[in-house]
Amino acid sequence: MQEIRRKYVVPGDRIIDGNFRPLFNVIRAGNSIISTRIGIAEAGREGVKVIPLSGIYIPRVNDIVIGKIMHHSSLSWDVDINSCFSAHLPAQDVFGRDFSPARDDMGRELATGDLITARIIAFDRTRDPMVTIQDKDLGKVPRGEFIKISATRVPRLIGKRGSMIQTIEQATHTRVLIGQNGIIVVTGRNSEGIKLAVRAIRMVEEEAHTPNLTQRVKTLLNVSDSAPADTSQLAQPQIAPQNEESQPTIQEVEEELEVEKGEKAP
Amino acid sequence: MTQTRSLIDENGKRTDGRTGDQLREIKITVGVIKNADGSAFIEFGMNKIVAAVYGPREVHPKHMALPDRCVLRCRYHMTPFSTDTRKNPAPSRREVEISKVMREALEPSLMLEDYPRAAIDVYVEVLQADGGSRCAGITAASVALADAGINMRDIVSACAAGKVDDRIVLDINDTEDKEGDADMPVAYMPHLEQVTLLQLDGVLNEDQFNQCLDEAVKGCKMVYEVQRKALMQKYFGNETELKEEQ
Amino acid sequence: MSSSRRSTIIVEHLRKQQMWDSISKGKRLDGRTLDEIRPIEFEVGLIKKANGSARVKLGNSEVVAGVKVETGEPFEGLENKGALILSAEVLPTASPYIEPGPPDEETVELARVVDRGIRESEMLDLSKLALIPGEIVYVIFVDCSVINADGNLFDATSYAAVSALMNSKLPVFEIRDRKAVDTGEKQNPPLTTVPISITAVRIGESVILDPTAEEEACMDARITITTNSDQNFAAVQKGSTGAFTVEQLKRAAPTARIKGEEIRAKLRESTKAGK
Repeated sequence: MQEIRRKYVVPGDRIIDGNFRPLFNVIRAGNSIISTRIGIAEAGREGVKVIPLSGIYIPRVNDIVIGKIMHHSSLSWDVDINSCFSAHLPAQDVFGRDFSPARDDMGRELATGDLITARIIAFDRTRDPMVTIQDKDLGKVPRGEFIKISATRVPRLIGKRGSMIQTIEQATHTRVLIGQNGIIVVTGRNSEGIKLAVRAIRMVEEEAHTPNLTQRVKTLLNVSDSAPADTSQLAQPQIAPQNEESQPTIQEVEEELEVEKGEKAP
Repeated sequence: MTQTRSLIDENGKRTDGRTGDQLREIKITVGVIKNADGSAFIEFGMNKIVAAVYGPREVHPKHMALPDRCVLRCRYHMTPFSTDTRKNPAPSRREVEISKVMREALEPSLMLEDYPRAAIDVYVEVLQADGGSRCAGITAASVALADAGINMRDIVSACAAGKVDDRIVLDINDTEDKEGDADMPVAYMPHLEQVTLLQLDGVLNEDQFNQCLDEAVKGCKMVYEVQRKALMQKYFGNETELKEEQ
Repeated sequence: MSSSRRSTIIVEHLRKQQMWDSISKGKRLDGRTLDEIRPIEFEVGLIKKANGSARVKLGNSEVVAGVKVETGEPFEGLENKGALILSAEVLPTASPYIEPGPPDEETVELARVVDRGIRESEMLDLSKLALIPGEIVYVIFVDCSVINADGNLFDATSYAAVSALMNSKLPVFEIRDRKAVDTGEKQNPPLTTVPISITAVRIGESVILDPTAEEEACMDARITITTNSDQNFAAVQKGSTGAFTVEQLKRAAPTARIKGEEIRAKLRESTKAGK
């Protein structure tokens, strides 16, 4: 069967003709599948998709995001999640079912400007997203260096099973909190390490679509290629569980290419 | 618009030296406005136009939101120093009309149903105008929309053709616009082969009408090549034409 | 009527913390020292249809200014002088917080402060631009459009307006039958001085020059000081809802002069290159 790997496309570009299943960021026009975004197209047995290189974050249920508290009404906080919709965090999520605006001070719990790690629990075409901070590892982010990247680069920054971000964390002795919405907080005791981690993150953001990125990041971090990933010391980074509908990552496309070229064991 | 002088000389050269089927020089730069979600700057002849896209984003006021699709808002505006005589910054009726036809030219290309209850704002600012500014504006706006990562069925390319000295010519300039016989701006989706904007200012017979339309569409296809190259350059740099690995 | 309102940009608390810590150590989040001005790009003469034009990029704040010259009636009380009309617009392309519409109080203040710096310093000798005093004079329009807003629009707009004026070529009008007629010749504008504005903001106890939009969102107060080529002060404006101490203001004044002179040199160089 005909296959396409890594074709650069802009909206309207014809990717392939034939009876393929449209997966992401593509539509069928007559006998052709065309791209609806700027990105990297891939076609194979499972279908045709385009990994986008630009575009804002669109919320998905179960995504872990880092949001900024904006204002609050008497019943919920408005949270900026770097998307086209602001999210709501119900007061009950924090204070419990017997929340009372008269007794419980929302502003003291979460103030304007605070950052929270939250999970999206509801979102559809008819309403704004709703989040919770009740699970383990969610809640207010107390400290760290704040960075914003394009949400389309987050999968590449995480890497397959967290490999890219773990490489950065270990080399710089930092802990990197990543929201699917492109918001990132870096913590660490050593300010030089934090600076280096930020540089590595920026490099991944800018070069996410290029081959051999892993190598260049390792060079920046002064990490030898053969060093095995030591996952025992650091806790797993915050990664959204891979949904059934989650988009393929640029990492996956590149890794498959590396396997092909014999540079990496599958 | 009656002519008082010849605008095409005996060698077929126009007032700016072009032949009848030549486009003016076009240059497009993508991503020029840092704050915008998508942007493009276009130089088309002496037109200098910047387009910025913000969106999809929240609609304010909330009651303006549509439940099943995105609201598209377009503004075409000329800066006071963009024209021969200084223009008052307040929107003129011409700008209001062009804003509307611009929106109607871009809307068919956008998959607005993917972003219900949100809004996309397209701002086109003319820094210098030189005949065909609405076409140049639409061209830049479509590039800015792609830069913003909005789902699109196709790019929109725009170009005008016109009648000058009784001949149909491509991409009329400022002088030809003012002193020629007819001006027909067209916007076109090159892959879907659909016309999304068509206006006529002037008098044409049926043959001339068909010829003019064909010429303008030809021009749109040439404009598309510049748009595509600009987007590829910004996103893929020198790896523009990566071969497919079959 | 002007009323207090909710601030549009909400800066993350962590970011504010980073900013305060950094500034207390003498550095800002973008690596600059407290009195360092961002890199400035000048481009002149880009709008051929205008009599003069300039594009200025101060960091990421970008402004285009154009000069258009007409003739018309003088202002009341200024019968022997040409008329200078300066306007500024923050285009909706400039930031997600701008909505198209008539200028709001911030934009009006921006235009008036930039105008004051140029007018009070008498950058243009308007007495040389009267044709028939009391009836017909040159009318010089300077229109500024902010294309991208990233803080310190006062200085970015002022540099664009000043560059555009320095770069301009005015038409030569003469009177025939009591009407102004364009002779087709061009003249240099009657320039006397180059006013340069320098803006600083107070954050905590520190005063920093040339704020970014993020720094402005965290500021207590802002001061814009315009100085002339002869190192005198021509216009000053304090902005925002906080306050300065008298010492801070007295220290800001010489800084504005010294930094003003540096910028003046850059501006002169780029306008020459444009000609």
